[in-house]
Amino acid sequence: MSDRGILFTHIDEPGLQRLDVYERLGGYRGLRKALTAMSQDEVLKELEASGLRGRGGAGFSMGKKASFLPHGGIEKYLCCNADESEPGTFKDRELMHKHPHQLVEGVLIGAFAAGASHAFIYIRGEYEEEANILDAAVSEAYERGYAGENILGSGFSCSLVVHRGAGAYICGEETALLDSLEGKRGNPRLKPPFPANQGLYNGPTLINNVETLSNTPHIIVNGADWFRSFGTEKSPGTKIVSVSGNVKRPGNYEIELGIPARDIIYGLAGGPHPGRRVKAWFPGGSSSPVLTEEHLDLPFDFESMQQAGSMLGTASIIVVDENVPIVEVALRLAEFYRHESCGKCVPCREGTNWTVKMLERIDAGDATPMDLDVMASVQANIIGNCLCVLGDSMAMPVGSMIKRFRPEFEAHMERARIAAGALTEELHVPLPSEVA
Amino acid sequence: MSDNWITFTVDGREVRAPADELLLDAVKRGDVEVPFFCYEPKLGAPVGACRMCLVEIEGIPKLQTSCSTPVKDGMVVYTQTNRVKEAQNAVVEFLLVNHPLDCPVCDKGGECPLQDISFGWGPGRSRFHDQKRNFPKPIALSPLVAIDRERCILCYRCVRFSQEVAEDYQLAFLERADHTFVGTFDGRPYIAPFAGNIIELCPVGALTSTSYRFRARPWDIVDAGSICTLCPSQCNISFTIRDERVERVLARDNEAVDDGWLCDKGRWGYQAVNSGDRVVAPLVRDGGRLRPATWERALDAAVNGLRTAGAASAAVVGGQTTNEEGYLVQRIFREALGSHNVDSRTGGPLDKHTARLLSHPGLAAAVPDIDSAKCVLVLETDPINEAPIIDLRLRKAVRRFGCRLVVAASGPTALDAGAAERITFAPGTGEAFMRALQKALLKVDAPGDVRHEQPDADPAEGDADEAGVIGGQAQLAAFLAEHSLERLAEIAEVEVDDLEEAAALLTAAENVVVIWGERLGHGEGGATALGALGDLALVLGLDAGEGSGLIEIPTATNGRGLREAGCTPGLGPGLTDIEGPPGMTAAEARDAAGGDVKAYYLLHSDPIRELPEGERWDEALGAASFVVAHEQFLGASAERHADVVFPAESYAEKEGTVTHPDGRLQRVRPAIGHPGEVRAEWQVLIDLGIRLGLALEHHVSAGAVLAELAERSPLHRGVTLDEIGGRGVRWQERDQSRSAAKDVLGPLLFSDPAEPRTVPRPSDGELRLQTRPDLWTSRELEHAPSLDFLRPRQELVLHPADAERLGLARGDLVRISSNGNAIEAEVAPRASVKEGTGHLIEGTAEQNANALSNGLPPVVKVTKAGTER
Amino acid sequence: MSKFDHLRGVPGSRNRLAAQVWEGAKVGAPAAEIPELDEVGVPVELRATIEHHMSLYPDYRSAALPALRAAQHLHGWLSDEAILQVAAVMRVTPAYLESVASFYDMLELEPVGRHAIYVCTNLSCQLRGAHDVVEAFSGATGAPVNGSSADGQFYLRSFECLGACDTAPMASIEGHYRGPLTKEDATTVADHLRAGGAPDEVLPEKRFVGDYGRRIDE
Repeated sequence: MSDRGILFTHIDEPGLQRLDVYERLGGYRGLRKALTAMSQDEVLKELEASGLRGRGGAGFSMGKKASFLPHGGIEKYLCCNADESEPGTFKDRELMHKHPHQLVEGVLIGAFAAGASHAFIYIRGEYEEEANILDAAVSEAYERGYAGENILGSGFSCSLVVHRGAGAYICGEETALLDSLEGKRGNPRLKPPFPANQGLYNGPTLINNVETLSNTPHIIVNGADWFRSFGTEKSPGTKIVSVSGNVKRPGNYEIELGIPARDIIYGLAGGPHPGRRVKAWFPGGSSSPVLTEEHLDLPFDFESMQQAGSMLGTASIIVVDENVPIVEVALRLAEFYRHESCGKCVPCREGTNWTVKMLERIDAGDATPMDLDVMASVQANIIGNCLCVLGDSMAMPVGSMIKRFRPEFEAHMERARIAAGALTEELHVPLPSEVA
Repeated sequence: MSDNWITFTVDGREVRAPADELLLDAVKRGDVEVPFFCYEPKLGAPVGACRMCLVEIEGIPKLQTSCSTPVKDGMVVYTQTNRVKEAQNAVVEFLLVNHPLDCPVCDKGGECPLQDISFGWGPGRSRFHDQKRNFPKPIALSPLVAIDRERCILCYRCVRFSQEVAEDYQLAFLERADHTFVGTFDGRPYIAPFAGNIIELCPVGALTSTSYRFRARPWDIVDAGSICTLCPSQCNISFTIRDERVERVLARDNEAVDDGWLCDKGRWGYQAVNSGDRVVAPLVRDGGRLRPATWERALDAAVNGLRTAGAASAAVVGGQTTNEEGYLVQRIFREALGSHNVDSRTGGPLDKHTARLLSHPGLAAAVPDIDSAKCVLVLETDPINEAPIIDLRLRKAVRRFGCRLVVAASGPTALDAGAAERITFAPGTGEAFMRALQKALLKVDAPGDVRHEQPDADPAEGDADEAGVIGGQAQLAAFLAEHSLERLAEIAEVEVDDLEEAAALLTAAENVVVIWGERLGHGEGGATALGALGDLALVLGLDAGEGSGLIEIPTATNGRGLREAGCTPGLGPGLTDIEGPPGMTAAEARDAAGGDVKAYYLLHSDPIRELPEGERWDEALGAASFVVAHEQFLGASAERHADVVFPAESYAEKEGTVTHPDGRLQRVRPAIGHPGEVRAEWQVLIDLGIRLGLALEHHVSAGAVLAELAERSPLHRGVTLDEIGGRGVRWQERDQSRSAAKDVLGPLLFSDPAEPRTVPRPSDGELRLQTRPDLWTSRELEHAPSLDFLRPRQELVLHPADAERLGLARGDLVRISSNGNAIEAEVAPRASVKEGTGHLIEGTAEQNANALSNGLPPVVKVTKAGTER
Repeated sequence: MSKFDHLRGVPGSRNRLAAQVWEGAKVGAPAAEIPELDEVGVPVELRATIEHHMSLYPDYRSAALPALRAAQHLHGWLSDEAILQVAAVMRVTPAYLESVASFYDMLELEPVGRHAIYVCTNLSCQLRGAHDVVEAFSGATGAPVNGSSADGQFYLRSFECLGACDTAPMASIEGHYRGPLTKEDATTVADHLRAGGAPDEVLPEKRFVGDYGRRIDE
């Protein structure tokens, strides 16, 4: 495990939120270099050469994504996805709270690469403190001439607006974010057309995660090769991993991808509490299929996690120890996705609420093993048939839990049935008017 | 649709389709059906929400929604693989998770896509054993539409309609996820002119018609296609008949006319057909009262009355009259009575040249041209109140095809929000505005612009002057040269900048459609205003390209048809010349009561209510020696003054043709039999004519009457009912009509420009008056119980500054008076109104603004009701 | 019923939208069109705020969320009046705004208590006892979970992941994140706010920003 970091290097510097402190530590050199010493194409090439992959969960090459935007005089936009709502993920919050100017600079570099004239930071509404901090940072940037008209005399103009969300996980999905930014309900859109061609206000749009954009100043200043010296060949650079759940030291840790998961969970985060063992862990936030103890020694990167039947996603690790009933975990997650589903497409909307209802019955002692088969089949019916990945985000973890912990589900079901007494003849299901 | 055809493979079969056609439509060409719920091309871009149309495409790992995937050359598509079938089963199962098993009591049963798709593509059984989502049901969404939220599958169609087609944005999704439901703000009812369309759009029984609830099952009914004659939109409809009674009206989707939509007036207006208040027997005035009589007696009385008056008779022909009826009545008047006093228009006199120019195929545009127009000028009309379906068409053009809308009217319109340029001119100054616009247009430089050449002109008629203009346009140019743009703009009370903006938009567009309201020609100077319109059309070069032209919005349903069938005082059938001087217009005939006009023939018209200066009509009809009327319901005119009343057919019983404002001949077909003693009116008119000594054949069908009209009218030359069929035919597109019309209509020429009239400005305590039509004030609607709640109360719409100036607050009751007449109205300030003008609704049953005069802008006094004596 | 009752949203029961679901349309009332400014009377500052937001975006409708938040801040919740005021300034229909507002968790369509406390009950916090914490808050504030206290002081929500899983179990006290919380902390917070204390001053030692693990020796 390495002590070398990129994004967290100065993270605890007092006053880092202020522009003068940031500049003193080398801030805005990247923006200056990009705008005054490089062309838009050169910046794009540098980003692509660096191999920087999207840090918001999809892992797509950032430079390539930026190059998809058409050239020419049409109005283009850049959106920074700061709607971090994936359970177990809190890396962007720290970055924005302590290092706002790193993001502001990254956004502007990204906008230059894409040829955007308007940039928006869509930050989730719950992050009120961070939004205020960003507002102040953006004001400072405008004052110093780093944003607005004719930045640094380069001829490049870009406006920067901090836009607050109002509480919807689905708005972290890039097309739902665009709809929400346009002032509508946050429903995802069909893809194709992709945002690179038809995005915000139907214009070409580049959407990137906070962590992704925060890397760009460093890449421009130090070069693509320097960036590639971190991490692996397929996943260069560093990754901030959020570790939470049943561990001694939950928090954000900047690592290089490819190190064993054990080094993160036990090494950095201290492992489970004394006397406890890891029962299940999510490598990529709650939307990833669960893995077990046997997977702890795998390299923590995109490819290995996928081969193990899960995914890296946002690289947020949630650890569940053996004291926690797996049904509880499944039910909590299913309820989360059911609450956050936008309701646009049929499989997700109905599949999530059906899954919750079945899990509740299991917990209440009102289910049989056949229900487990039905539930597994429902998850399979959701996967691949939805408009966006939220449906899959429930179906994959719940499906994986049923698969890996089936005996525990069945035992839980039995115990609950016994506790509830024999199945009563009259099935009383409360009407909505009786609830709350 | 692309002209470029490609080949792709579906289920192993090669199929050819236009490139980029959506896969769901393209596979139909290979005889493959893919189920869907949320896909509806009329609503705009596909949403891909229901996931029912998933198909497998080679090379793409995930299943794709065929409704949103354009087909490409060489694509290989599978719709019958296990994977696809599992997905389809999964989606149906998911849909039925919360959908109640209501089929036995659901109105949609039997005509329900969900039933059909569950049966055809579903798994057969549901494995859901939990509690379904519950809502109270059904609940009123409005007095017309009931909503059953349990049945709703959240397919997005109704909200997309409300938001993106009708653009009233009253219906929306509320809440999120599986709690989502369709609703309105604060539970207000969904009231909009097009609300009923959501009933047809809804693929399940969630949105149902309250009037059709539990009336019939699809196997009990028969459909009969016809035309709705309640407004000039003339939408194609389909009557739903059960046991010889009209129970419902549905849209019949004619893309060239209505795009498959209907307004609520058309959808529920049929109830008047079934009303018990209908006149179903001839009535004769006996001892001061109208009493039922036999046809013989009624016809005799009518013949006597008309024969006595002879040439001192006048016919007022109302809007729902068919071409055949109009043609026959003008024959009776012209040939049997020797009078040219036949009028179907609400405006003033119309000179021959202008009438022919406005009907000229060279300047004609069709409704579908709105879709492809780059710029549309809406002139002195508010389509949503006069021809609602045109309003929808314009919104579609603006939203989907990037059309730039220029709205120029004397009052606010519903289209203002989407207009690229909105100009409000003072009421009655339409002519000045058009002259100003012409001046602004001619100033605009456009190299190589062919518009400045006189079309069809004889080159020998005059030398081209410096600007390259020849012939009549030189006269126009000279006239305009005498008036500065500023002066013309001042008369019209508009800004020069706005005029130049509008001119720029109109010049920049490759094709322009001008939608003009007949009200442009109302009042004094109306005739020259229409002449100015013709000039504007020529200056804009509407004759030059395909897809450019004029579309009129007449005040009456069949306004165009009646004009072209000969129901104007100055022109015969097909706009042919008449012998002798032109007759009197309706207004002139009214003023001549007791003198040169002794008898009135009211064919589906109630002048006291519907024509300007209703009080004077009351006097005129009272002074007449004889009045005969055809009425479905007894209006004030008939009730007070008619000596003979013939029962009129409703549009559900009628056989005949009407002409759409864009020239499309359409068939009105009988769907039910005649109630009571009602007879076919074309037959009644033939009877009457023969008794009056007209050399008329005793035709046995309406088709035969049409054939006679076709012989006499070049515009209708050779047309038959069969040719018109179910979709109609535009006479401008028929070779026979075009060649025959050439001689009558002549070349396109500029008019003789006249001094545009000025209008007085109001002083303290006064407002200038403009009246406007309202969709819900027609007489039939008073007998359609479902639409009762929509009838508007008289309201005075004025600018908030004027309200303040006059000391009025919203909701105050005021008295509006002019020339000894007065009405009362409620104050409703609106910022989008021009200062100095007040707007009233015309044609209401009570407090009718036509007491003050329709379409003429006198200055009126406004005072708080009860405060002045 | 499961012990997760308080974590579920129940259709239509929480807010004003329920009325039209249960009773149907107010037949006889006028349709809700775009209100005129003189009809609704918009406070000057609110109008200025909304117009400022509208000017920041290429399409003014993007200002819907900021405008609704501003109106909620002023009125305490998005009442009919609040929605109509925003609609009049933005020139949009109230149905559009209500549709947008009802989609998002932080926009309230019924009156709520003055001090909003969002206790995270998502997975990471749940694994560390969030259930007990939210019950403790309920007791300390007198507000039922997902409801407001009778005295109108507190509004307690069990919320989804707030993005501070390192300090699980945690809560957002009027936008200020505090954690890890104990049952006793609930009392401390309630007392502090009830006494009029500033929300950003409560439990100052429990402020971490993703760095709990790096700063704590355990």
